[in-house]
Amino acid sequence: MKYILMMSGTKAGVGGYQAWAQSDRDAHMQVLGQVMKDLTESGEFITTSRLAGPAQATLVRGEKNGLPVTDGVFPEAKEFLLGYWIVDVATPERAFAIAGRISAAPGPGGIPTNVAIEVRPFMQ
Amino acid sequence: MKYILMMNTMRAGAGVPSWPKSDLQAHIAFMRQLNVDLRDSGELVTAEGLSFPEQARQVSAGKDGVPVTDGVFPESKEFLAGFWIVDVDSPERAYAIAARVSGAPGPGGAPLNMPVEVRPVMSAPPPEMV
Repeated sequence: MKYILMMSGTKAGVGGYQAWAQSDRDAHMQVLGQVMKDLTESGEFITTSRLAGPAQATLVRGEKNGLPVTDGVFPEAKEFLLGYWIVDVATPERAFAIAGRISAAPGPGGIPTNVAIEVRPFMQ
Repeated sequence: MKYILMMNTMRAGAGVPSWPKSDLQAHIAFMRQLNVDLRDSGELVTAEGLSFPEQARQVSAGKDGVPVTDGVFPESKEFLAGFWIVDVDSPERAYAIAARVSGAPGPGGAPLNMPVEVRPVMSAPPPEMV
């Protein structure tokens, strides 16, 4: 079963992360790197991506003539997808366990962020 | 340059649309053709459709690292319905593809003109962090 694990945040949250001490950011990324390594070894890893921050997000609509109309204005409260992992696991519980591990990655001062990760299966 | 094109939907609008079957088929045919074209041009990295919000769970780590799951989301939450990752030469090309997605036909064949969020994709964590 293929699942996507999504980490989201608001503009304010992204700004907060950028204000973390470099050592805290390093420790956070190291844990996420280890998760990726472990999933690769277990054969469950499909892919992961980090997305550029909200400042680089653009909203696009097709005009009547099919030409793109772009807009960079988002509501402050909008959640932005920051990054995701795609895994192929035997059970939903396994997907939840991986998401729990990502959620437990350390934040400032080494304290787990406990950020909520949205977990959803792909369409069959 | 890699870009992600995200099609979001509100919880209320999520699910198989209650359109006439022929309209649904036209919509699906449009999306399939888009994927064929992007594959032919060598720009398609991946395209996925996600299940509906009923199957979404929020997971956070409890104190002991055990996952805590919750299926309750605010009504106003945006759900990612599907996404494309494309590898293109310019942001303008990514916007053009997004506009094509946006113009997918809805009921009666009228373009939906739904907004598509476009954002650059960064690389995985740098190797020295792993």
